[in-house]
Amino acid sequence: MFCSVFSAAIAGVEAVPVSVEADVSDGLPVFTIVGYVSSQVREAQDRVRTALRNVGFCLPPKRITINLSPGDLRKEGTRFDLPIAAAVLMAAGAIRADSLDRTLLVGELHLDGRTAHVTGILPTVMAAREAGCTACIIPLANDGEGRVVDGIRVIGIESLPQLIRYCRDGTVPSAAETGKSADFRENAGDNAAPAVQPDFSDIRGQAGVKRAALIAAAGFHNLLLSGPPGSGKSMAAQRIPTILPDLTAEESLEISKIYSIAGLLPKGIALMKNRPFRAPHHTITAAALCGGGLTPHPGEVTLAHRGVLFLDELPEMNPRTLEMLRQPIEEHRILVARARGSYVFPASFLLVAAMNPCPCGYYPDRKRCTCTPVEIRSYQSRISQAFLDRIDLRCEVPAASYADLTGESVNEISSAQMRLQVEKAAAIQAERYKGTGILFNSELNSRMIGRYCDVSTDAEMLMQAAYRQLGLSARGYHRIIRTARTIADLDGSEVIKEAHISEALMCRCGKESPH
Amino acid sequence: MRTPYRLIEDEDLRAKIRVVQKGDDDYPACLELYPRSPKLLYVCGNLPDPSVRSVAVVGSRGCDPYGRDEAERFAGVLAANGVQIISGMAYGIDAGAHKAALRAGGRTFAVLGCGVDVCYPKENYEIYREMIETGGGVISEFEPKAPPNGWHFPVRNRIISGLSDLVLVVEARLKSGSLITADYALEQGKEIFAIPGRNDDPLSAGCNRLIAQGAQIARDPEDLLAALGLYIEGKNQKRERDILKGALPLPFEAKTKFEHADDFRKVYGCLSSRPVSLDELTVRTGMDIQNLSAILVQLCLSGYAAEETHGFFCKV
Repeated sequence: MFCSVFSAAIAGVEAVPVSVEADVSDGLPVFTIVGYVSSQVREAQDRVRTALRNVGFCLPPKRITINLSPGDLRKEGTRFDLPIAAAVLMAAGAIRADSLDRTLLVGELHLDGRTAHVTGILPTVMAAREAGCTACIIPLANDGEGRVVDGIRVIGIESLPQLIRYCRDGTVPSAAETGKSADFRENAGDNAAPAVQPDFSDIRGQAGVKRAALIAAAGFHNLLLSGPPGSGKSMAAQRIPTILPDLTAEESLEISKIYSIAGLLPKGIALMKNRPFRAPHHTITAAALCGGGLTPHPGEVTLAHRGVLFLDELPEMNPRTLEMLRQPIEEHRILVARARGSYVFPASFLLVAAMNPCPCGYYPDRKRCTCTPVEIRSYQSRISQAFLDRIDLRCEVPAASYADLTGESVNEISSAQMRLQVEKAAAIQAERYKGTGILFNSELNSRMIGRYCDVSTDAEMLMQAAYRQLGLSARGYHRIIRTARTIADLDGSEVIKEAHISEALMCRCGKESPH
Repeated sequence: MRTPYRLIEDEDLRAKIRVVQKGDDDYPACLELYPRSPKLLYVCGNLPDPSVRSVAVVGSRGCDPYGRDEAERFAGVLAANGVQIISGMAYGIDAGAHKAALRAGGRTFAVLGCGVDVCYPKENYEIYREMIETGGGVISEFEPKAPPNGWHFPVRNRIISGLSDLVLVVEARLKSGSLITADYALEQGKEIFAIPGRNDDPLSAGCNRLIAQGAQIARDPEDLLAALGLYIEGKNQKRERDILKGALPLPFEAKTKFEHADDFRKVYGCLSSRPVSLDELTVRTGMDIQNLSAILVQLCLSGYAAEETHGFFCKV
C-alpha cells in the first residue's frame, strides 16, 4: 500500500516542502530509503524500525520502500525520522491514510520512541504555513520555537504513541498545549537579556571611540578600530550592538530563522530579540566565514546578519579569506556555489574590525614602539586597499590613561542615551530613503549622493580644499560625504554643514604610511 | 616575489654607472687617506665635487616628525647655500635630507649599502632618480646587483663620513648606525654636530650622548655654515618658522574665518612636534570631538598642523 506525508528539508536559509512516500509491498523484508538523501537520513531506517518496535509496533516482514521527493533536492539531518515513521505506520495500515492530511511533520526519534530536538523548526513551520498546511507536528523540545509562527496549529509531541493517538482520535497531548509550552511562549516574547548587559558607560573616557561607534551605528558604516593592545578595541566593539536600533518583528524573524537552521538558538529562546554579535577568531577559514560545506551552511557573515561582525586582529587574518568579505559588504548577501547547488545567504552586517597599528602595537608612540618602518609598512599593507575602501570610518583607540581608569565615572554616555540618538538618525534615514530600497546612508551610491546629500557652500569649499590637499580619490570623496550625511542626521540637519564635513574628514579611513 | 628593493632597469640611468679605482684621478682624495678605504667605488652619476663643501646628514629610519623636520630644515638651508648633502637614502632622516636638498636645488649624494643599481628601499626610487638627474650621484662599494645585506650598512657608513667635511647627526638611538658613522667621523677627524633632543626621548638619546662626549650642538643650519666657513651675516636664509614663534600671528587668523580664534590658539598650543592623539587633545583642550575636529581640519588644511598617522596630530 502506498502512502505519503509532508515534511520539509532545509536549503540554505529556507525550508522546502518534501513529501515522504512509503510503500509496503510483498517481497524480501528490506527497508530502503531513496531520494538523494545523506547518510544521516539513511540511518533513519534503523532508528525508525527500532523505535516502532519499542513502542509495540512490529514492522511486517515485507518490502518497505521510502522515497523523499523531490528527488533532486539534497536531504540532510535527522529531521525525517518522524515523517518516515508516520508514513510507514500509514502504509502498514496502523493509522488512517487521511489522518495526516495537510499536516507537516519533522523530528528525530530516539530508539525508545521519544522525539528529539531538531534544528530549523522556525523556517519549517513558516514553510508549512505557506504550503497551506493547517498543522505542524514537531518534537516537544521544539514546541516553543514552532509556536512563534501564527496562523498554523503547532503540536509538540513527546513520543511516537502520542503521534499514533493523535492520528487515531485527534487527541492532542496535554503537555503540548499547557504547562511547558506556556513557558516557552513567555520566553519567546522575552528580551533574552543576559544578567549583565554590556554598556558603553563601562568605558571610561575614550570619547573618540564612542563618537565613532555612534556614527557607525547611526549610518551602518563599517568601522576600523586601531590602537595599542589592551586599549579597549574589543570592549568597544562588543557594545555596538547595544546602541543599534531595536530589531523589527520582521528582522527578528529573519535572524531567528538563520539561527534556527544553524542550531544556535539559545536554549529556551524561540525568537532572537537582540542584534547578533559575532566575533570569529582570526584563524577562521573561508568556508566558516562565508558559508560552505557540501550543501552550504550559513557562515559567520550570515550569522551576523542585521548585527555586528567583529574581526579582531585584522592583519593576522588570511588575506584571501578577508578579500572574500568584499562581495557581502557590497551586496549585503553572499552567494555560495557548491557542486550540490548554490545558495544565497543574507549577509547585511556592520563590520567592525580591529587592528594594532604595528606588530608591537605602539606606533606612533616612538618611545615605546620598537618596530622598524619596514615592519610597520608591511604590517599595514597586509590589508589591501580594496578592503579598506569598503570601510567608511576609522578610529584610533589610544591606551586609556590612569586617570580615565581610576577617576570618577562622571557623565559617561550610556548605551541607552546613544541608542536614542541612533534611533533618531535611523528614523530620518528611513523617511528619506522610503521606497528606494536602501535603509542607511552607508548604502548611498554616487548617484544617490547627488540627490540626497545637500552640501552647504561653506562645506563645499572645505571639501574642495580637502580634496586637493589630502589627495582624495573619487571613492574617498564619496565615503566622506556618506559619513558626513550620517553626522548631519545625528545633528538633525538636512543640509550637510562644514562641521559635519570636518568631522567626517577626521574619521575617514585612508591608507597611512610611516615616513 | 616581492622584494623590498628595486633593481634599476632604466637604460639612461644604467649608462651612467662607472667604476672608480683607488689611484684613479677621480677617486675621492679624501678617501685615500684612510687605511680601510674601498679599493673600488661604483658610481651612478657624479662623485661629490672635492672643491665644494659636503655635509653628511644621518639619523634614524624610524624618526619622529621632529627629526624629519629638523633634517629637512638643515639639509634645505645647507643645500641652498651650495653645500653638498651626503646621506644613505634610507627611510626617515636620510630620505628627508635628500628630499630637502633636492627641493632647495642643491646636489645630493647617497652612499648605498647595496649595489649601485639597486634602489633600496624601493619607495625612494624618486629620490634615487632625481638625485642622479640633478648632478648628484649614488655611490657604492658593493658589486652591482648586490642585495642590501645587513652587514653592508655599518661598513658603508665610513664612506659617508669620509666623503664629507662635517657630519650632522639628527636623531639617533643609543644603538644605531648613525653613531657608527659618528665613530668613523671621529677616526677620520671630521667635525660632528648633533641635534639635541629631549632627555626622555630614546630617539634622541644617541645625539644627546654625542653632545655630552663633545660633539657640537646644532641649533641652526647657520652654526654648520659657520663651521664650514660659509656663514655671512645677514645673507643666509632665516628660519622660516621664526615667523610662527610665539603667539599665533596675523596670517593665521586671516586664513581662518572662524570667530573662535581663542579655540584655535588653544588647540594649536596643545600640539607639539610629537604626535598627539585626538583623544588626548579632547582631554587637554576640554573641547568636544565635533568642534575639535573642525579646528584640526582647518589647521591641517592651512598648513599649521599635520596628521602624522591616522588620528595623531603634530605641529608643522
